[in-house]
Amino acid sequence: MTATEPRVTAGRPAGPAGTSTGPGRALVGVYGVFALSASARAGYQIATKFAEAPLAYALSAFSAVVYILATVALAKGGGRWRPVAWSAVLVELVGVLAVGTVSVLDAGEFPAKTVWSAYGQGYGYVPLVLPFLGLAWLWHTRSRSGELASRPVADQ
Amino acid sequence: MIGPVSLVVVVLSLALAAWALWFVIRDRAVIVRQLWGGAVVEAVLVTQAVAAIVLVANGTGSPDRALFGGYILVQLMILPFAAMWAFEERTRWSSVLLFIAAFTRAFLEYRLLQIWGSL
Repeated sequence: MTATEPRVTAGRPAGPAGTSTGPGRALVGVYGVFALSASARAGYQIATKFAEAPLAYALSAFSAVVYILATVALAKGGGRWRPVAWSAVLVELVGVLAVGTVSVLDAGEFPAKTVWSAYGQGYGYVPLVLPFLGLAWLWHTRSRSGELASRPVADQ
Repeated sequence: MIGPVSLVVVVLSLALAAWALWFVIRDRAVIVRQLWGGAVVEAVLVTQAVAAIVLVANGTGSPDRALFGGYILVQLMILPFAAMWAFEERTRWSSVLLFIAAFTRAFLEYRLLQIWGSL
């Protein structure tokens, strides 16, 4: 097999390119790992000690929902799931930047208790890189959809 | 937990990750034999999970039970999900996915040992 980038796209049906094939397959895998670990973490926190830090734990649950949505939407491959994927990944980006910044500036107020704390330091900063990869991939698959990639992202 | 079993888990997971990485470099998709490799790792993981749960139930080790229970169950899902998801993709990206999953699983052993209290 000599399948490289061009081969990956070959044989795909016309219309918007799927987000779940090729590199997207690996991307969805990473999103899946984070959906799983963020859910498990949030479930544990809320079940055992929610009262200790309600805001942090609610955010933990929120991040889990965002990762689940992103995973499912990217895995569905496009169509009406594409706007869901865009939204989830954008929210993820805002989330990791906002929670990361607040947790770094005010560690006391925001103990390291979500996937996004300290920009995902506890997870090798993958949570910080992942939304950029997600956005790049959504953009990339969109530009292969047969239309020229000139429309701004906001049109999606 | 059980030191030798953890060692076996890490060695097997990293071997599977290396195998997948080799396939990434060679531009090949995941093959059935690699899934069998994953199944072997999974069998060891299930054995380890059962043993660990029995040990905790008998009062050996002093992990945070809820946390440890969550980890010990969630870590079992990674390889099967990855195998299903990877095998539909017939490009090298399936190998990338298998590599990520196997490497993640090897790392989780470190987290499990941390939570167990032996690190």
